[in-house]
Amino acid sequence: MSLVRPISQTILAIAFAFFVASIFILLHHSSPLEVYGALYQYGLGSWFSFSNTLNAAFPLILTGLSASIAFMSGVVNLGQHGQFLWGALVCAVLGVYLKLPSWLGIPALAVLGGLSGAAWAGLAAFFKRKYKMDEFISTLMLNFLAEYMTLYLATYPFLDPKAYVPSTRLIRREYFMTNIFDVNVAFFVALFMVFLCWWFVWRTWRGYEARMMGYNKLFATVGGCDVETDTTLVLLLTGFLSGLAGALLILNGTQHRFTKGIGANFGWDGVMIAIMANNGLFQTLFYALFIGFLKNGAVGMEFETSVPSEFVLFLQSIIVLTLVGTRSGLVSLTDWLRAKRELGKLVK
Amino acid sequence: MGAIVAQLLHAALSSATPIALAAFGGMFSYHANVFNIAMEGMMLMGAYYAVYGAYRFGHWLYGMLFALLSGLILAGIFSLFAIVLKVDEFITGIGINMLALGWTTYSLRATFQVKGAFISQSIPAIPKIRFPAIEKVPFLGEVLSSHPFLVFVAIAFAFVCHVVLYRTKFGLRLRATGEEPTAVASVGLSIGRLKLWSAVLCGIFSALAGVYLSLGYVTLFSENMSNGRGWISLAIIILVRGRPMSIMLMSLVFGLLENLGMLLQRYAVPPQFTAMLPYAATLFVLYSYARRLKSA
Repeated sequence: MSLVRPISQTILAIAFAFFVASIFILLHHSSPLEVYGALYQYGLGSWFSFSNTLNAAFPLILTGLSASIAFMSGVVNLGQHGQFLWGALVCAVLGVYLKLPSWLGIPALAVLGGLSGAAWAGLAAFFKRKYKMDEFISTLMLNFLAEYMTLYLATYPFLDPKAYVPSTRLIRREYFMTNIFDVNVAFFVALFMVFLCWWFVWRTWRGYEARMMGYNKLFATVGGCDVETDTTLVLLLTGFLSGLAGALLILNGTQHRFTKGIGANFGWDGVMIAIMANNGLFQTLFYALFIGFLKNGAVGMEFETSVPSEFVLFLQSIIVLTLVGTRSGLVSLTDWLRAKRELGKLVK
Repeated sequence: MGAIVAQLLHAALSSATPIALAAFGGMFSYHANVFNIAMEGMMLMGAYYAVYGAYRFGHWLYGMLFALLSGLILAGIFSLFAIVLKVDEFITGIGINMLALGWTTYSLRATFQVKGAFISQSIPAIPKIRFPAIEKVPFLGEVLSSHPFLVFVAIAFAFVCHVVLYRTKFGLRLRATGEEPTAVASVGLSIGRLKLWSAVLCGIFSALAGVYLSLGYVTLFSENMSNGRGWISLAIIILVRGRPMSIMLMSLVFGLLENLGMLLQRYAVPPQFTAMLPYAATLFVLYSYARRLKSA
């Protein structure tokens, strides 16, 4: 019973979102059926498409996890973008200069990338702890700083002179991560992180404190939680997850180097995934796969129909809004109906 | 030296305008205790439709009309979700920002068949105002002359908003909605309707900021061209606790910093570093605000 309602809500909301989107597709003089057909064909239709969807999803799973855990704990970390970029840049630069055997180098680079993301989030944690600066705005501003700083580093000190756009040199070939049946190993790392995070949130006392902090900060404080340390810890952990996403994209993506615009929209996608998932960890996994499917299918959609791939960004935001709208609207509606029924009883 | 300072102030006034306009919009929501963070998206949408209307119909007034309509539509969506459906305001705001980013990026591609930016000679810009009387005054003339008229509108709005907020019935009710909604409801006023008005005002002002961005500051539309200005305006509102005069002043400080960067570029400071200045400044202002709170 407890599962039926959220699942039916989700299906209803996604169906409604696709319905709204088809109006816009019709306005674009295309057939919604053809567009969705292409989306399915290239997103899920064959093993090739499906594995590509999984490969498109791994950064989203990690940034989504990052946002989910942060929001669940009442820590508004919106800095996934900046943390992601630092993870990617540090990994890309060390991947050029560090000489290690691949069995040691790949995990080391991934962890170092994650740590640089954590360090960037740690800056926000420091501001919060030392100066009581709201992490909501400071992480946002740190995004812009990270964007320009990494771009500077890729444009001047670590520039590959042979590249057309500002980018670093290709990382050493030993550090290219392999695929298992066309699926990136990075995807399995992301899956593992979902379980690890689940364990942290639901099976450790720090995770418990973080959740209590999200329910009610005052209650957590009165109950004896060290709220300041918990906040710092959550920021570091979520920064690590975003940084790891960036590092894995360098190690297991297609480019194996840091280029301008590599961060794309991964940070905000993560925030949207967390919102759709209502901060649940396994729901985050589901919605990350869903968004990965849309992104991967979008390439095929542009190829097959006249609808440009940018449409998916719009579709994504409609889905987010209808999902939260349906969820919240249904709750208000049931509350209203219940109130009316109670009132009816009283009047009688 | 005087010429450089005059240039700097001229440019500062120019880049302060969109931030100030968006902040005035957000200010109404702030006073109604609506956590509206959709200024970024509303600004972006306004900027896109300003270019669309102006280019399509050949006059900047059409651009403004379209932009204001887009602002109203986004305000309507915000109200539908945040006020009627009672979705979390923060989540609604993020959703609207994403919606604006997605829609403008898609429309740019679908309507103008370009990726990245739409630049054309035939986009009519907002006319620039010249004051023959002031232009003769050496320093002041250089600072104030030949701005798009929205710059002066923004300055005037600082006073108008002050009067509206603190000297009219509407302003009083709006602030009461923020501070004690039950008191407002008890005299028979609709809280939802007042919040709706604050959202509509936010849409209108943010759209105006967008118009200024794409038809005044520059004459083009590029993907995600608001580039965090909405967030900076939000930071300003929170810092000055929504006081219109202080908003204008703080916006000017940010405009000054943004252009100080341009000046530094002449001395071979890489552009990536100078571009960081407004964001670093926001962090710094946040820091000094926190210090002030501590000592108080």
